[in-house]
Amino acid sequence: MLAVSPLRNTGNDGKQGEKENNFSISPEEFPDFGEGNLLESIDFDDLFVGINDGDVLPDLEMDQEILAGDFPVSGGEESEMNNSFMSEKAEVDSSRSQEGEDKVLGLGCVNSTSNKGDEIMSGSDEAETKLKSLPNKEAYKTRKSSAAQAKNNNQGKRKVKVDWTPDLHRRFVQAVEQLGVDKAVPSRILEIMGIDCLTRHNIASHLQKYRSHRKHLLAREAEAAGWSQKRQMYGGGGGGKRDISPWLAPTMGFPPITPMHHQFRPLHVWGHPSMDQSLMHMWPKYLAHSPPPPPPPPTTWAHPPPPDPSFWHHHQRVSNGLTPGTPYFQHPLPLTRFPAPPVTGIPPPHAMYKVDHGIPATVTEQSGPHPLVDFHPSKESIDAAIGDVLLKPWLPLPLGLKPPSIDSVMGELQRHGIPEIPPSLA
Amino acid sequence: MGDSSASYIHMVHHLIEECLVFNMSKEECMEALFKHADIKPIITSTVWNELEKENKEFFEGYASRREQRASDMEMKRRIQNMLSNSSIRDTKE
Repeated sequence: MLAVSPLRNTGNDGKQGEKENNFSISPEEFPDFGEGNLLESIDFDDLFVGINDGDVLPDLEMDQEILAGDFPVSGGEESEMNNSFMSEKAEVDSSRSQEGEDKVLGLGCVNSTSNKGDEIMSGSDEAETKLKSLPNKEAYKTRKSSAAQAKNNNQGKRKVKVDWTPDLHRRFVQAVEQLGVDKAVPSRILEIMGIDCLTRHNIASHLQKYRSHRKHLLAREAEAAGWSQKRQMYGGGGGGKRDISPWLAPTMGFPPITPMHHQFRPLHVWGHPSMDQSLMHMWPKYLAHSPPPPPPPPTTWAHPPPPDPSFWHHHQRVSNGLTPGTPYFQHPLPLTRFPAPPVTGIPPPHAMYKVDHGIPATVTEQSGPHPLVDFHPSKESIDAAIGDVLLKPWLPLPLGLKPPSIDSVMGELQRHGIPEIPPSLA
Repeated sequence: MGDSSASYIHMVHHLIEECLVFNMSKEECMEALFKHADIKPIITSTVWNELEKENKEFFEGYASRREQRASDMEMKRRIQNMLSNSSIRDTKE
């Protein structure tokens, strides 16, 4: 679509002639093309010829001062305005404003990169300056969002694109929860969040999305709950539980758990702090959107497995003979829960989490353990998990949190009258 | 002496992480560790607090996720009630 035309100066005269430009660009207005300023010689306006279609930045909001700035941006379908860097700013301005705000930001940035003269930058604000290092179309979106965020939100013209980071979303969710999902009003949410960069409109649209997502989530869970309830009515206690799993079966193509254990040793790198941070950050957003129940550990070893994700089920059936202590219940799990475990070859959690929503509601009454969704994990599973840690202290930490400072722990304990640990008294 | 303390603390840390996997509260954790591993609640509590200091971000998220889940459970209960009520009504009609 767009052809970058390097070394335009060489073809300028010809092009101008073709395009019937009513101006001419004197060679001295262009920087040295010959000597390696190829970047400058590339006419970035050409990149944006097609942008006039308005399909690139639908909701970009422009700062007034940018619009007023001297951006010799081409706006016409033809590239005849391409050359109007210096001489035809007025025309460009008017044509630009005609075309609307969509392209100006990018185009302005582009022109600032094209380095055709200082005038280009005269009207630009810091946002534009920031963006001039990204001359190509691919960087458009980055520029758009960064510039949008850098700009003042009080335009009122159009909504600024907000980047809903996990942290931001978490605050949003907190605010909504505080107010009550149904009562949460954007203006109040905004107050509670107390972030300057958000407009009521941002909040409102995010709230809408959040609400519809929640409804969808809960409706699905309720539907699944209703479904599994029926199943249990028909199948009885244990039978009903098992029947649920086949429903999940098609989604799971899980590798056997036991080998996974061996893989987890090297994966202990997840205990590394920097890894943890990024993984932890993934949690809130991910879990806020769809609380994923990790497959719970077996309630007891001899007991039929809980009706949760089928891979558990398969392995439970297969490995009922495993002796307690085989680390296939809790330790593999947390690692698999992380959204990005490519190393273990585990399919992304989404697959099983989406399927699994309805189970916990009914499982609660039956067997229990569904850690992240069920608020009442069974005593057996906890006991098993704890027992495993006690028996095998070398196992990797499931979450890999930063360890506490030994000194402050000891200090604190001494304050409470415990001079040493492990305590000699039971 | 110091080594055994350090390894003990590490063990308690590990156990607490297991409880976190189970989405337990601090109190639940103290109780579980006491019941299943014979660890004095004050020790659990201290290690938990220190862990929280070192991992503020995680624990903040953890707390909000717990709240979220509580309200989600509540919502689910309500929906289930609605569904069962409506099915009762259907059978009546």
